[in-house]
Amino acid sequence: MFVHPEIEALRSNLAPQRLDQARLDSALGQWRAESPATAIEGEMQRFARGEALARLPQLRALFTCGDTAARSLVDRLFGAFLTGLHANPLGQVPLRQQSDGTVASVVIASTGAAVLLVQALDGNGLRRRAQALTASFSSGETWEHVLSGSADAELVRISGSRPGGVELDRSPCKLSAGMVNFRDGARETLRLLAVPASLVTLKLQRRMVQDAVACEYRLADGTLVHQAAGSSRESRLELAAALLGRMGRSDAAPLLAAMVEERGSQSLRWQALRECLGLDTALGFSALCRIAARTGDPLAAQAGALRGQLLETYPQLKELAECHV
Amino acid sequence: MNLPKIDISTLPDLDTLTGMFGSLAHQGTHFSIDDAPIDMMVIVYEILKALGQT
Repeated sequence: MFVHPEIEALRSNLAPQRLDQARLDSALGQWRAESPATAIEGEMQRFARGEALARLPQLRALFTCGDTAARSLVDRLFGAFLTGLHANPLGQVPLRQQSDGTVASVVIASTGAAVLLVQALDGNGLRRRAQALTASFSSGETWEHVLSGSADAELVRISGSRPGGVELDRSPCKLSAGMVNFRDGARETLRLLAVPASLVTLKLQRRMVQDAVACEYRLADGTLVHQAAGSSRESRLELAAALLGRMGRSDAAPLLAAMVEERGSQSLRWQALRECLGLDTALGFSALCRIAARTGDPLAAQAGALRGQLLETYPQLKELAECHV
Repeated sequence: MNLPKIDISTLPDLDTLTGMFGSLAHQGTHFSIDDAPIDMMVIVYEILKALGQT
């Protein structure tokens, strides 16, 4: 195997690698010092707590049609990184990033439920992808400023609900440099259909409801085909509950019982209930009875049915059940 | 009170199951839709940097 002498030198000595990294860190530091990045990060914290974009001048400027703030911010950041990478090709851009060969994303700022990122999409890569059959909707707001390139797209809106799905309204649209769009993710989503060359956008996203689920509907008829947790936190908690159950950690049962009665997605609460019942029958059954008795709790009916099922299978639970009448 | 040990495999799931965050029934949906929630994994670089600072 041939190893380029420069790479071999880096492998044998960590100092040049660290030096390369320090130069890219310094490029980021310089950008922060010279651009409004620090003020933007401050506004992001207020934005994540629910402040309206209109009341945040730095962020608002980034998503104002005709304002050059967005282009200037991104040009300066990526100009500094490209210069740094040209001189130090083995350095890492010190920001969260992700690329699948078609879509590349770099997070400029992230706090709580809000994230500001730059996304670049390669038109050739998009052409090679299979045509989507479904559209996914998740609770959250998206502001988007097209910095360069253009795209043919389709705005898909939920116009009504029906048993087992929704009515979808689909309308074609075009994206071009300078455009600013806003979408309410719970009922609107944008499908990119064709990108002639590339499309670079600055995006601001804010997640709205922590326990909301993401719903995937068939484009052809609006039938619900899948739903998923609306946040990684929900899935992380669900996995933790399952792990505690498999480990037999009965000492975690009080925590799981509390999760059942907290505000959270129905799925997370139900899984916590199942694990709690498996770990500590008394605690789990008590939580089940309390949920079954709650008016207005979306899990009340299912909890009531399970309570009945368990009482039939295990008559000795009757005494516990009577404590909750 | 002598209570039974409940086997959770006998406990029902909800009628509509909820998948993990980011899961989809049809791959390809995220490739043509650009509104997927952005939630990236912490990259190794950040972990190393954090460790270096402690």
